[in-house]
Amino acid sequence: MKKFLWTTFALFLFLLIGCSDNSKLANRVFGINDLKHKKVGVQIGNTADIYATDFGGDTAKIQVERYSKLADAIQALKQGKIEAILCDNQPAIAFVKKNPSLDILEEVFVEETYAGVIAKKNTSLLDSVNSAFEQLKVSGIYDSIINTYINETSNFHYIPKTKNAPKLVLATNAQFPPYEFHTANGIEGIDIEIAYFIADFLGRELEIQDMEFDAIINAVNSGKADIGLAGFTITEERKQSINFTTPYANSKIVIVVRKNSSSEQSLSIKELFYNNLIKDSRWKFIVEGLGNTLIISLFAALLGVFIGTAISFIRCTNEVTGRLKILNRISMIYLAIIRGTPVMVQLLIIYYVIFSSVNVNKILVAIIAFGINSGAYVSEILRSGFKAIDPGQVEAGRSLGLKFGHILRHITFPQAFKNSLPAMTNEFITLIKETSICGYIGLTDLTRGGDIIRSLTYEAMLPLLIVAAIYFIMVAGLSTCVARLEKRLKKNER
Amino acid sequence: MNANPETLLEVKNLVKSFGKLQVLKGVSLNVQKGDIIAIIGPSGCGKSTFIRHLNLLEKPDQGEILFKGKSILGKDVESSRIREQIGMVFQQFNLFKNLNAIENIMLAPVTLGKLSKKEAEEKAIELLERVGLSEYAKHYPSKLSGGQQQRVAIARAMAMNPEILLFDEPTSALDPEMVGEVLKIIRDLANSGMTMLIVTHEMNFARNVSNRVLFFSEGNIREEGSPKELFENPKDERLKDFLAATKH
Repeated sequence: MKKFLWTTFALFLFLLIGCSDNSKLANRVFGINDLKHKKVGVQIGNTADIYATDFGGDTAKIQVERYSKLADAIQALKQGKIEAILCDNQPAIAFVKKNPSLDILEEVFVEETYAGVIAKKNTSLLDSVNSAFEQLKVSGIYDSIINTYINETSNFHYIPKTKNAPKLVLATNAQFPPYEFHTANGIEGIDIEIAYFIADFLGRELEIQDMEFDAIINAVNSGKADIGLAGFTITEERKQSINFTTPYANSKIVIVVRKNSSSEQSLSIKELFYNNLIKDSRWKFIVEGLGNTLIISLFAALLGVFIGTAISFIRCTNEVTGRLKILNRISMIYLAIIRGTPVMVQLLIIYYVIFSSVNVNKILVAIIAFGINSGAYVSEILRSGFKAIDPGQVEAGRSLGLKFGHILRHITFPQAFKNSLPAMTNEFITLIKETSICGYIGLTDLTRGGDIIRSLTYEAMLPLLIVAAIYFIMVAGLSTCVARLEKRLKKNER
Repeated sequence: MNANPETLLEVKNLVKSFGKLQVLKGVSLNVQKGDIIAIIGPSGCGKSTFIRHLNLLEKPDQGEILFKGKSILGKDVESSRIREQIGMVFQQFNLFKNLNAIENIMLAPVTLGKLSKKEAEEKAIELLERVGLSEYAKHYPSKLSGGQQQRVAIARAMAMNPEILLFDEPTSALDPEMVGEVLKIIRDLANSGMTMLIVTHEMNFARNVSNRVLFFSEGNIREEGSPKELFENPKDERLKDFLAATKH
């Protein structure tokens, strides 16, 4: 086992060294007309996506590659997977500043304006927010914010005064500098400063919910958040489902391309480690994510075992004695639904539909979603464990006057559990890895922690390899523990 | 209808079918206290099915079973209460695989509240001594030979202090060299006055231990009598054939 671990570790290291060189294609873009038939990256849900999809008609179609984060698109561009990115001007400036190998074309793709989003039914909030925007401009605070983040001639940060007041929940996607992005101090940016001002103006305390860009409108509509600020462009389509506030910024969609290939200097491994982990304490994102992944996996597994045991009891009791008909029927429906739909969809449904109106802890949501999901598989695993038991065991129990419940508790369940251990381990390994989709409800799990670093450093390899290595160690640790337990239980039987 | 005060078990016209196959065709039997009844007959004649009915592991299609004069087939009868008083030893031993020898013996009396844990342990040690396995108390079934497992199974059945003990081919699954040790235990029990029904293929044992022998064939008792009568002067043609076939 140890040898195997070392081999795998060596493989990681090999990848680390081998991957640092990335080739670039000569397929370059110099202007809008060069975009035809090229692969062009956009952010899902961003207006650039709509424009890019419509561009060129049928004869000069762009192959649109949609990314959930701009940082991912930047990586793809640098690696030559796509030829250009269409995105908003200011984030583009911020990205290019950090990536000297990229450039913004002079030619502007399209001009547009940003506004906040508020649920249609919440018209009173819309009115007060619009007054807040008016006040923001009149007071000069707006100019100070723009000077700080865009012109970089000032260092203004709005300090909120309201404390311990009702929450104003802001939905945003902190992958969009300079409007919103992660820093060592949390999420900062133009939209965030504005949101603090609005919250103060309304006499409320701001709570920031970081989520995928395409999830924000849903979150606002379902009441998970009061307002969405994430560089939203006003479009007719969006107007159908949501209300826009007064526009607060003008932006352009620009084209980001690669420069001459010579300008990219590759970083040494030491620098990579520094950039991705040490600088601004970025390792904290990994630690926070790992903590959440462990908590979610552990409690979801416990909940899964609890539900799975209960369901397998119900089903086995029904099979043997014919009792518990209604509970058995409910169990069958539960199993069919859970096993028939992807866990990701279940997670989204539990967060956005079932808990839509409640301000519920996301970790709790994840534990519930994964626990309910795992329970279905655990119950079937246990049931096959029950089926493998010699019927003579039950008969012997009955012949002694033991009741069905006694037999279940003292004889069949312990044996079924042992029979199921290998398959159960497999289920828990799957569970640990499945929690990596938690990012979809904006929860910082291990995968998302790595993603945040990726969005800050534009480096794909190191954060992803570190995250992969940590998952691997967790799974290897779990396998080793179960192997030991199995060995101990084996002493009692062939 | 009046049951003899000595009568423990009264079986009347028991009928059982598995699908289209009628396995028991109206079996009747009286068991007196202290009876040691050997049940012999060819394979598939229904003798195991019959004995399983007495432990309520099967439900008859027709017929009646009275235990101490009371029906045990009614809906209001709690089968587990009856089974406590009628112990069973299986062909395949069926020791609980997840429990060691002493735990196997203690489980039922402790779980059903018959004995405290301490009392059950004392009793289990005593029973293990009786079956000659006191050194194997902590051994799991997988670490015991077939003969040892069957002896633990007998001790387990005895731990409930049953009124009747049923044996369903207790030595059929054993290697020949282990048959003797199990039969010795059953013989000791017989000598202690235990009421027993034993389905067996061991003719010599049936002859030496029992006070009554039943010959089962085609789902019914074809002949019944003392071992001497049955083995030395069989009347039924099938019994004659059967005894001739088991001789060599």
